[in-house]
Amino acid sequence: MSDRREKKENDLNRELRDHLDLETEKQVNAGLPEKEARDAARRDFGNETTVKESTREAWGWSSLERFAQDLRYGLRMIRRNPGFAAVAVLTLALGIGANTAIFSIVNSVFLRPLPYPESNRMFLVGRTGNRIGGISVSLPIFLAWKEKQRLFDSLGLAVYEGNVTLNGNGDPEQVPAYAISQEILPVIKIQPALGRNFQSEEARPGGPKAAILSDTLWRRKYGSDPNIVGQTITINAAQWLVVGVMPALFEFPIPFGRDSQVWLVFQTPASNQNPSNFALCIGRLGPGITTAQAAAVLSEPLTGLHDQYPNMIGANERAHLILMRDFLNRRAGTAPLLLFGAVGFVLLIGCANVANLLLARSTSRQREIAVRAALGASRWRLIRQMLTESVLLAMMSGLAGVLVCVASLKFIIALVPASIPHTGAIQVDANVLGFALLLSLLTGVIFGLVPAVETSGVQLRTRLKEGTAGGGSGRGRGYLRSSLVVAEVALSLVLVIGASLLFQSLFGLLRVNPGFDSHNVLTFGVSLPSKQFDTGSKAIAFLDNFSTNLASLPGVKRVSYASMTPLFAGAPDILYSVEGGDPSFQGKAFDAGFRFINPDYFQTLGIPLVSGRAITSADASGTEPVVLVNETMARAVWPKGNAIGQHIWIGKPMGPASTEPAPRRIVGIVGDINEASLATPPEETMYIPYGQAFGGRNDAVFMIRTAQEPLGLTPAVREVLRGIAPTLPLSTVKSLDDIVAESLTDQRFMTILLTLFGAMALLIATVGVYGVISYSVAQRTHEIGIRVALGASRGRILNMVLGQGLLLAAVGSAVGLVASYWLTKLLSDQLYGVRATDPKTLIGVTIVLLAVAMMACWIPARRATRVDPIVALRYE
Amino acid sequence: MKEKYKDRIELLQGTLDLMILQALRGGPQHGFGISTLIRTRSQEALQVPTGSLYPALHRLETRKWISSSWEMAKDRNREFKFYSLTSAGRKQLTREESKWKQLARAIARMMRPAEEA
Repeated sequence: MSDRREKKENDLNRELRDHLDLETEKQVNAGLPEKEARDAARRDFGNETTVKESTREAWGWSSLERFAQDLRYGLRMIRRNPGFAAVAVLTLALGIGANTAIFSIVNSVFLRPLPYPESNRMFLVGRTGNRIGGISVSLPIFLAWKEKQRLFDSLGLAVYEGNVTLNGNGDPEQVPAYAISQEILPVIKIQPALGRNFQSEEARPGGPKAAILSDTLWRRKYGSDPNIVGQTITINAAQWLVVGVMPALFEFPIPFGRDSQVWLVFQTPASNQNPSNFALCIGRLGPGITTAQAAAVLSEPLTGLHDQYPNMIGANERAHLILMRDFLNRRAGTAPLLLFGAVGFVLLIGCANVANLLLARSTSRQREIAVRAALGASRWRLIRQMLTESVLLAMMSGLAGVLVCVASLKFIIALVPASIPHTGAIQVDANVLGFALLLSLLTGVIFGLVPAVETSGVQLRTRLKEGTAGGGSGRGRGYLRSSLVVAEVALSLVLVIGASLLFQSLFGLLRVNPGFDSHNVLTFGVSLPSKQFDTGSKAIAFLDNFSTNLASLPGVKRVSYASMTPLFAGAPDILYSVEGGDPSFQGKAFDAGFRFINPDYFQTLGIPLVSGRAITSADASGTEPVVLVNETMARAVWPKGNAIGQHIWIGKPMGPASTEPAPRRIVGIVGDINEASLATPPEETMYIPYGQAFGGRNDAVFMIRTAQEPLGLTPAVREVLRGIAPTLPLSTVKSLDDIVAESLTDQRFMTILLTLFGAMALLIATVGVYGVISYSVAQRTHEIGIRVALGASRGRILNMVLGQGLLLAAVGSAVGLVASYWLTKLLSDQLYGVRATDPKTLIGVTIVLLAVAMMACWIPARRATRVDPIVALRYE
Repeated sequence: MKEKYKDRIELLQGTLDLMILQALRGGPQHGFGISTLIRTRSQEALQVPTGSLYPALHRLETRKWISSSWEMAKDRNREFKFYSLTSAGRKQLTREESKWKQLARAIARMMRPAEEA
């Protein structure tokens, strides 16, 4: 009993006692002796208990007390039916837990503001209508834009530096780095936790070299030394002054630069003629300035630049501002939202199931409810009481769901691909908990409302009478239960179809022949400090010497190196012209990817030479410039098959600053390989001998074919390197198989989770079909008994029950197929080698679903055939 | 019902509330005081049974027409539960009063012609 009520009770007792005292006093005053006076007062007072009772009735119940009553009642019902409660809570906890987990991703990616102050003014500034460069810009463009800077609080450049070599304080190592201009930190509005941003003199070409460290690197490599600022460290064999350390958990807002450990000052020149697009421009727009205004102003100088670099900048190029958040989200893609929708389906199926359980149970509570209604409980009161019960169940499930979420989040985060930003921020925060609470409430109302309204609306008289007649569960109710199952089947069909499409895509991708043999290949990177290796020939001499040493290791079959491994996403393209030959080539610019390779590259990776000759060590600097092209390029540019012997001039369309000194002769054609990704067809690619690489190549990726498991070779490789260059570190040691597998993380993320959700949906829906059919068989025992008594065979009874289940599953599948037709289109972007409306998948999954439904009906159907007519008829 | 009509006047539905509100017009009063007031003012014609008085008091309180608090009685050193009119109760009393007067007049008119005829 509530405190409030207890106090009221005490008050009443005291009040009545006072009344009695006063009455007694009056009688005493009138002259009666004490004892008689009291008796008289009692007589006059009447029956005390009756007085109290009728007074209490006048109190009524406050809504809070009624709620407490409902709650007590609900708890009692749950305690009395622990099996039911367990099944319901388990089903819903899985649903709510999965929803909450996916929500925590959606929350960190789409809902929470980027972890930069006023991030709604942070923009990636790029161009539209450009044929080259994508989102990146060149220095001439940036310098032209900088003149319009008044529109921006700050406008800066970020340049991908790949890995840089750190020496000192332990083993030499390679860490990811970005070069950033002085304006970048003001753009993202985050200051170093220690030290300062770059100063103007450091931002000028030729100024002192300054670097800012990440918190992780500072703690790990420099032991959190508070005096690190002002010290000099060795980066790429040069001396850099540490001017700052960024705050903990700071993540650089560029997808490729998220894990940057060092930020080097980018020294912006006053003018520049290099038209290649190598930098990202990001800016903080001034308050009140719209993207349209900014884009209009920044577009003006592009026209002049087009005249200057006609092949690099198109005539119709315009500046274009993308909100940083949108830019990051675009990379995250629709996967989190699609998964969020899918996991919502799972919960809906769970709700339908629990609603059905409640409906089945409420049938056995009909008499109780009818009695309560007869005793004066209003319909609203009954609904509210039943809703309290279901919300109570849902809250218990929500609590369990949060536990499921916390337990599974680690597993899910491990699957999250690199394209989703700020994975470190994925956590169960107040938003997520609030979501879980709201979802639980909503769940309770969704699955509780239908049974509550349905049950409370029973016709009193019929129910009270029917209670004894038994067996007659109304037709309307059966219809409702069937509709819920149909909905369950439909929803799970959609999910299973989606999952199976993704599964086929992933398996298709795993079966893709990438054109190279990725088994037993060890890869790692080295980068040679340009100070020490200041000429191309010095670098190549080192790389070749290293190769020779590696080749003599036991278990090494062949050693090669190149500028990058296959499946390296985001490799740049370059423009070239075709010299001589067909006059139609005159003045035209072609576009192709390029790799620098050493002579052993193709044989190490098992890429065939289709025609012409291979590259040899004789193709070095000073000899005739040559190039190999892949089949796709040969076919695209020289469809007549006369590619070999043609001359191409790399960089010529990009202007004199980027043009190679002489054209190259095509000496051979090699087989196509998937250079960019397994899902995209091979692109036009040129292979240039390392010895003739332009710009000097100090970075190389080694690929070593081994006899056995490749990673086992790593210590021996380190040993060799230490022997010839103790200051050089190995970077990103991986097997080529790992690289192939990592290129599929996006697909794997979606596929594994959707498959999991599809399996959950199928399981819950199967339980749903089973529940409805067994319930119906139990309800129809009497009828089945009569049928058997009248001569129906066992087979006929079996078919009857199975038919009922099949009908439900078939109607559900039909609805689900129509829904799938529309919904799986959302998956189109994620599919490979299979269409969203692939008839084989649609039919196959439907058949599987129907078969599973049949299996679920089999047990109750068998039970129906065993009904003994005598027992059934005597029953009740 | 009819055979219960004897000497004592049965209260009409709702008139008890009216009388309680009227009794409180003079100021806060405890249950016994209200009961005494009704009896003396009606010159012993109306006696409110405790079984009706207290449920009525509590009902009026739930409706917020009266409020209650434990207060020291002036004439003795002891706390009683005193009821007093709220402003809503005062308004209700005015409404009920005029209704009652209309009813009383109507019944009086109804009775008079019978005598005159």
